Amino acid sequence: MKKLLVAVAALVGVAVAASVGSAGTARTAASSASAVTCGSSRTIGFLVPATGPAASIGQQQVRWAKFVVNQWNKTHKTAKIVISQQDTQLGAANGSAQALAGAQALKSNSKVLAVVGAAGSNENKGIRQTLKGAGFGWVTGSATADELTTTEAGTRGYFFRAVPPDSQQGTTVANLMIDKLKVSKVYIIDDEEAYSTGLADTVEAKLKAAGKSVTRDGVSQQESDFSALVAKIDRSTNVIYIPWQLSPKAAAFVSQLKQAGKGSIAVMGSDGLYADDFAAAGNPPTIYDSMFPVSPGQADVKAYEKAHGGNGDFFGAPTGVATQVVVQAIDRACKDGKATRAEVRAQIAKTNIPKSILGFTIKFTKNGELSGGKFGLYKSNGKIFLPISL
Amino acid sequence: MSEHDDPRDVGLPEERRIEGIPARPDEATQPRVGVDSWVASHEERRQQATGIGGRIQDWWRRTPPIGRLLVFLVPAIIFPLVSNSGNIYRYGILTLIYALLAYGLTIVVGFAGLLDLGYMAFFGFGAYAYGFLASQHTGRHWQALLVLPVVVIATAALGIILGSPSLRLLGDYLAIVTLFFGQAFVLFANNANRIDFPFFGEVDLTGGAQGLEGVDPLNFFGYKISTNKGYFYVALIMMVLIVTMLHLVNNSRTGRAWRALREDPLAAEVLSIPVKRLKILAFAFGAAVAGLIGCLYSSVQTLDAPGDYDIGLLITIYAIVILGGAGSLTGVIVAALIVNGVPELLRNPNNGRYVFYLGLILVLWYFLKSWKRLLIVLGGALAFGFVVYGITSLVWDRGTSGAPVADPETGANWLATAISHWMVLPTNATQIANWAYFALVLLIMASTLMSGWWRTLVLIPTVWVAAFAWENLLFTPDQINGPTRLLLLGTVLVVLMNARPQGLFGTARVEIV
Amino acid sequence: MQHVPDLISIFFPPWKNWSFFWDLTVSGLTRGSIYALIALGYSMVYGILKLLNFAHGDVYMIGAFLGWFMLQWLGGPSDPFISGWFVVACMLLFAMLGCGVLGVGIERFAYRRLRDAPRIAPLISALGVSIILQSSAQILFGTGFRNYQTETLVGFSIHNVGDVFFSTVQLVTVLLAGALMVALTLFVARTRVGKAMRATSFDREAASMMGIDVDRVISVTFFIGSALAGAAGVMFGLVFGQIYNLMGFLAGLKGFTAAVIGGIGSIPGAMLGGIVLGLAESYATGYLPQGSTFHDLYVFLLLIIVLIVRPSGLLGTPAIQKV
Repeated sequence: MKKLLVAVAALVGVAVAASVGSAGTARTAASSASAVTCGSSRTIGFLVPATGPAASIGQQQVRWAKFVVNQWNKTHKTAKIVISQQDTQLGAANGSAQALAGAQALKSNSKVLAVVGAAGSNENKGIRQTLKGAGFGWVTGSATADELTTTEAGTRGYFFRAVPPDSQQGTTVANLMIDKLKVSKVYIIDDEEAYSTGLADTVEAKLKAAGKSVTRDGVSQQESDFSALVAKIDRSTNVIYIPWQLSPKAAAFVSQLKQAGKGSIAVMGSDGLYADDFAAAGNPPTIYDSMFPVSPGQADVKAYEKAHGGNGDFFGAPTGVATQVVVQAIDRACKDGKATRAEVRAQIAKTNIPKSILGFTIKFTKNGELSGGKFGLYKSNGKIFLPISL
Repeated sequence: MSEHDDPRDVGLPEERRIEGIPARPDEATQPRVGVDSWVASHEERRQQATGIGGRIQDWWRRTPPIGRLLVFLVPAIIFPLVSNSGNIYRYGILTLIYALLAYGLTIVVGFAGLLDLGYMAFFGFGAYAYGFLASQHTGRHWQALLVLPVVVIATAALGIILGSPSLRLLGDYLAIVTLFFGQAFVLFANNANRIDFPFFGEVDLTGGAQGLEGVDPLNFFGYKISTNKGYFYVALIMMVLIVTMLHLVNNSRTGRAWRALREDPLAAEVLSIPVKRLKILAFAFGAAVAGLIGCLYSSVQTLDAPGDYDIGLLITIYAIVILGGAGSLTGVIVAALIVNGVPELLRNPNNGRYVFYLGLILVLWYFLKSWKRLLIVLGGALAFGFVVYGITSLVWDRGTSGAPVADPETGANWLATAISHWMVLPTNATQIANWAYFALVLLIMASTLMSGWWRTLVLIPTVWVAAFAWENLLFTPDQINGPTRLLLLGTVLVVLMNARPQGLFGTARVEIV
Repeated sequence: MQHVPDLISIFFPPWKNWSFFWDLTVSGLTRGSIYALIALGYSMVYGILKLLNFAHGDVYMIGAFLGWFMLQWLGGPSDPFISGWFVVACMLLFAMLGCGVLGVGIERFAYRRLRDAPRIAPLISALGVSIILQSSAQILFGTGFRNYQTETLVGFSIHNVGDVFFSTVQLVTVLLAGALMVALTLFVARTRVGKAMRATSFDREAASMMGIDVDRVISVTFFIGSALAGAAGVMFGLVFGQIYNLMGFLAGLKGFTAAVIGGIGSIPGAMLGGIVLGLAESYATGYLPQGSTFHDLYVFLLLIIVLIVRPSGLLGTPAIQKV
């Protein structure tokens, strides 16, 4: 009996301590209808893989978002933007749990009005219920999977993307191969990740529909020894399509292709491989790439390059566009001094940014896709990628 | 006959009695049969634990199991009512899921002593099976009360299938084969959307690399659980059930048989304990628990991705089991709180600092074992820091012009500003910080080799270099969520195994050679 | 009659396309030599301490990075101070020395106290060391890939003997690995320290009673095993180009499998296991359905089959359970 009393006293004490402790970190749960007063600083959420296996592209997105926000804050001193960054660790062991935790944290933070991100298509699939339930409008700069904007996804009016989807990239690539390169035999290798298989599927389907001979293969992202794979590729192949995410692996693949004496086969990459090491691995073989349509001569792009030692970080540029969209939407929604997440969402849908970083006017369709977006095509000159047209 | 003539009562104080072994009339003068002197001195060693720690340990041991459960249960019940949804997910649901997985692993590793490195395959199988039967991806929408038993039984069957060929394998080979099985599962899940079956054509089993999305929330007769609070309470109910079950099993014949198997399989077999059956039972049991948790995890995440069930999670769960003490039920929940809670606290730069410096002091205290020396080391490190700060601010411009890592939204708190007046914080510190990290590793190794006053002396610069590396390298936003978290986990594992192999709550085992 | 080659090629695929077969064999031998070197470290440590050293793969990774740093200090691949192959020799020596010292340090601080502890303790400690090495590499070197740029350093000249094509680097790898393995076998068989190693792996207590300094012998074992892993790391970088901080995990797993296939605890077994594993992977990629995606699964099946048929590996001694 005495023991039980002692036990009860102890647990009451622990309970009190725990409640006091967690009350300190609790913030009021945000409801999507509650209005936030637009003071001198407004908060946007940012879901990005700042660390983890995808950190190299995540950091590009971080730099672009920070650049855009800094530019804005310089000219809008009474309406500054603060970024609440949540690290999603795309590709890490518990990456989906991290993404969900980040989305939950943003949902609970009543100051956050809209979200930029997330970077991965899978991440978006996992967090869309949470973000929709929070009432957020969110704009991604790199999640290109087609299913994200279908009716089944259920996020029309909430999800927007500042980058053309996979189906467009796949169509552009297939058209290049069929019309310009006039291929008859293509070898497609995906790297078994969601992004890669999606693209590979689209291109394979289009090529088969045009009656071309296609061999499909896959290799793990962690593989570095492609010699056995290279041995399987027939010398009469015209183009090898590798929609991978890691450019050093692609560069190694090209060099091993050369080692095996198959340097006459052209190699085509995708936007994840838009990097100098992949471009420099060629000649021979000829290397092509498809990439987001960033306009190099545009003022913001030039300013970015100047501020970052000549490095354009083109992979992160659409995230910069997404940040611009969100920031401007908040500004419009705040005209009456107050803003709710629903208002900001509605304003995002009405975005109109002429002469944007991507080289065309940013406007969204009803599905949340860019209207008029198309992918760019590039060819390596032995050192870097130069744009070509179909 | 008076009441004191009960032959079992020989006048020993109650605390000296070991439960379960009846007293003999001549107990006071003769050693107990079947109990050697090491075991008999068990009670004495227990009483040697003095001071506050000893008293807490004593009290804890004497609380009835239900009381021990309530100590954790009551704060857990109150927790969702006072925090917001984001914190419930991060601190509540994830901790519970990891703890539950650790309980399942405890059955295999802690109770039966089988080293299963492919445990995540069962977890993943349970998650994917749930998604297979209740998601938008596959179009089936079964009810939770129907799906859960089916998945649990299926996962248990998988456990039996994996367990059977492993019967012939001894310890280390079992580890290898199960490790490979875990890897094979991830590989399979990643590619199982394009398998060509001869009759069925192309079948999509797991959604491949895209994962199985649109998994249904848990659906009990039409009542769908959709909030974090709901899932937290479901997880809590599951935990209570599983802990109760484990506690009862541990004290049953099967539990004792597993312990015998763990300690010495050959002796157990000689004593006609059905070793093979027990091993398969352990596998099946552990797999069943993992399958159940897989369902819960899958419905919370609404997406099953292959990478979630890989080695990274396995290491975390093993860390929880080992840190808590293999076989200890209390240890698991405490360790889960530490392993999941601490890195989350580190996320916020202002809170994280408290964690680091407090942790540093605790670690120093544990290894120095005396108040005096601890104060000397801390005082020395403070003085050292001020001296270095003073010299650097005079000699090197960039040296002290950096800012301490702080929360971008709320700015630096008092600790951060205090640190910026004590610690050298150069701008662009990465190069120097890398060398400092290297120096830190060497200093820690040196201090382990020394003893006595030399060790205390060497610890002063070590503490300072540790703080330097922390502020300038490990705590920066780039590193804190990834490598630093893992680094701390790895260090905890190494130090724990060397200093206290039985974990926080485990019992020390003696390997009788 | 003309369909006979087709029939044969169903059961024996190389019959139709020998050059493909030789390509796969060359690739498999190169990979296999690297696996063999890693497997040797695992086997030696297991033989002496009955410990599965999970940190071994990460020592291999550190070796690759040490080689890269040496390359940069000597002027980089395009403009080295001394000729290409001398640079390679320096890289190898530096990596082997560095990794050897690292291995000895790991043993001293993470495993020494746990020699008589229950088996799971040194295992978890090894896991902890592996995590520490990986995270430290990420903190110090970043997640990016570094390239050895072998093409600029020593060139990619391709030779051929009939239908068999191979490059100089591949040849050097296989020969060097072979030389190291021969040196190790001679060391263990002929020298006093080698004899001490064999004695200690047989019965540690008896060896210490015979006057053998067990601590020193174990340190030497770790030094040699880790040095071989370091050499393997540099060779990997030379042949395949890029290195990054997580490469140790997969390579360690493969080296581990090779050691088990050959019989863990046996030195010739590790060498055989490595070669077998490398060739098996290559042929699986080339000939089996969806081979490049699933070759890890096929290797796993091979492992299971070997363990079922010969539970202690191909060249291992059957373990006698002492009662």
